[in-house]
Amino acid sequence: MREIALVLNVKAAGFLKSALDFRVQSLFKNLSSLLIFGGVAVGVFLLSRASTGYLLQQAHIGLFLFHRFLSMLLYVFFITVNLGNMIVCYATLYRSEEVGFLMGLPVSHYKVFVVKFIDNFFYSSSTLLLLGLALLLGYGSYFSMPWYFYLFTLFVVLLPFMLIAGIIAVILLMVLVKIASRIGIRWLLAGIVLVYLSAIYLYFSVVNPVLLVQEVMKHYPDVNAYFGYLDPPFIRYLPNHWVSEYLYWTMSDDSGRAAANLVILLLTLGGLLVVAGFMAWRYYYPSWLAAASTRSQRGGGPGWLTVRFMSFGRPGILSRQTDALLRRDFWVFFREPSQWLHLLLMFLLLMVFLVSMGSLELRLSQPFLQTVSFLVVFLFDGFLIASVSLRFVFPAVSLEGDAFWCVRSAPVPIQKVYWHKFFASFVLVLFLAEILAIVSATMMRDNPVLTGVALLCTAFVALALTSMNLGAGAYFAAYRERNPIRVASSQGASLTFLAGMVYLGCIVMILVVPLNRYFEMLILRGSSAPEWLTLPVVAVGVLSLLMFFGSTSIGLATIRRDY
Amino acid sequence: MIELRNVTKRFGTFKAVDNVSLQIGQGQFFGFLGPNGAGKTTTIKMLTGLYAPSEGVCLVNGHDIHRDPLPAKRSIGYVPDQPFLYEKLSGREFLSFIGGLFEMSVEQIRDRIDECIEVFEIGDFIDRRAEEYSQGMRQRIVLAAALMHDPKVLVIDEPLVGLDPRSSRLVKDRLKERTTNGLTIFMSTHLLEIVEELCDRIAIIKQGRIIYEETQNAMRRFNGQLEAMFLELTK
Repeated sequence: MREIALVLNVKAAGFLKSALDFRVQSLFKNLSSLLIFGGVAVGVFLLSRASTGYLLQQAHIGLFLFHRFLSMLLYVFFITVNLGNMIVCYATLYRSEEVGFLMGLPVSHYKVFVVKFIDNFFYSSSTLLLLGLALLLGYGSYFSMPWYFYLFTLFVVLLPFMLIAGIIAVILLMVLVKIASRIGIRWLLAGIVLVYLSAIYLYFSVVNPVLLVQEVMKHYPDVNAYFGYLDPPFIRYLPNHWVSEYLYWTMSDDSGRAAANLVILLLTLGGLLVVAGFMAWRYYYPSWLAAASTRSQRGGGPGWLTVRFMSFGRPGILSRQTDALLRRDFWVFFREPSQWLHLLLMFLLLMVFLVSMGSLELRLSQPFLQTVSFLVVFLFDGFLIASVSLRFVFPAVSLEGDAFWCVRSAPVPIQKVYWHKFFASFVLVLFLAEILAIVSATMMRDNPVLTGVALLCTAFVALALTSMNLGAGAYFAAYRERNPIRVASSQGASLTFLAGMVYLGCIVMILVVPLNRYFEMLILRGSSAPEWLTLPVVAVGVLSLLMFFGSTSIGLATIRRDY
Repeated sequence: MIELRNVTKRFGTFKAVDNVSLQIGQGQFFGFLGPNGAGKTTTIKMLTGLYAPSEGVCLVNGHDIHRDPLPAKRSIGYVPDQPFLYEKLSGREFLSFIGGLFEMSVEQIRDRIDECIEVFEIGDFIDRRAEEYSQGMRQRIVLAAALMHDPKVLVIDEPLVGLDPRSSRLVKDRLKERTTNGLTIFMSTHLLEIVEELCDRIAIIKQGRIIYEETQNAMRRFNGQLEAMFLELTK
């Protein structure tokens, strides 16, 4: 126990040292973080309270149905925490140099596991914990709950719920690493992606929200009569169900049933802790050795992927320097399984989104609803662009890594390196974004003005978000971090993502009123009035260009820093 | 060929390098010595454009590396203290990449790689990915990369760390051979016997300041006593 406390103390001291760094630059960084994280938390709190109020008071969906929706939300939250922990755990438990160092000391591997698991859990789940807390505060404040409800729910319900997700991730990981030593990491990762996609698909096929509403509404207003028969049996074994049930019975003043669900949740946590502890004691060291051996056995040649036209040593049409940078980026990207697998996953999600869009009725007869649906789809497109940019553009400068010396000492203008990164990312992001925009706009209304607005605004969003992520990625560059996923889930990355959300929020505010007027003219009077949209699109363009120039000047200034 | 004029580097209030001035002519093999943390690597990083000096000027082949970096960098080959490579690229791909950055043609790169394979004996592993390399293999690839574009100046930070005796001999011979052909070498090292064997001139840096400098080709004067002098000066 003493060794665990010692290592955790060192880590906590390092964290405090950077948090309490009062130099101007650090102070600016910390204050910006506080502002943006705080702003988003307040936004989520308000949204949570308003949605709870709307669904219960205006839509009259009833407490039961509301908590079933909450359960679905918690399921997505659970999977996100679980997947996030699994991805980051692989880096922290198996690839980190710190583990190699600690394994060389007279510290048991079990203790190393405990330290790295705690480190990993808070590293990969702290932003989600903040969002969860904001949601809880919004939810509780609607029901006017007392202060101790929040404290209790945070520490005894939300945190254990997230821990269950994290522990399941680490248990699975230990098993998977062992399997990987036999079948290879690439096939294993591809298998994991498929399993997670299937899990989400199956859950929502069984717990179909539309079906749920229809079935419950059949019995309206005697909704409670249907409660016992509604849930598919396997749902009752999921932690999200226990949390939503705990909340439902708490709000229904039935503390006995609330406590029963809470006990199941805590017993599960206890059981999983024992299993994880046993597995760590028995299997962590062998699986760590297996992972090291898998890494060292890799390769034997330049790689399994052979794309001849991208091979070094072939003449290209670009300048020699740009050509060299492009080929290097191509191979470094496609030889790193976590990079191309994530890209594949993003493409799959995009396909799922486009297919789902096809089954929705988005041509609405009420102008305001049509405005809302247009903006929701636009926001979702923006969210996807922000996610892709965060995952692939933000780490671009950090991924220069320790080998950046060879570029910095070569006769290449450093601005050229930056612009090369920008254009390579922007072309990819713009391509994805415009596909999304065309498909969404066409499905909504086959209207050239709306399609034009969607295309232009999406191009502006792609420009702003790509430049924001690249600039912030240069500002928060972590050249020592080899894992792109850790770079994309760092504090700087979360901050950039949240800033991107604020930017998207501003665009929605710019568009909402003029778009509503446009739909009023179109739907109620049957006449197109594109003049209503000219000025807002110009305003979106100006805002995006400001973001582009601001981010790019920060990026260009910081990439020149001492290396 | 290399000139440092009153170069100072500050990190906050700490002066890592304090008013250093040096002049190294063409074809000289210059040894830069000093205890740990004396400012050797910081000086080298300023000389190669990785750090901007707080004061003073670093000239390479007559060009200020910070005001006029591109021509200065074209003249330099650099070997860092840690031979970091792109783990996912093979040695051959890394050398091709470096050749591209120095704007060499595809044919020139191919020829130079063939030459490097022979000179540095890297043929056995050049097509394997860097993630499989040992320290010595990496060191030889980085040395080959530094000489790919036939530089006028070679700046080396601890060149023989991690090399086995055979590779070490190979590298020493190649470096000495290059200086006779006009290459200027600026080498930082802790290995005094190598300095005695290879260098024409030396300077010793301590706490950021040059405390000793041989201005003429006078290494023979030490006659095996360099270690004693170094220990005396840096105590």
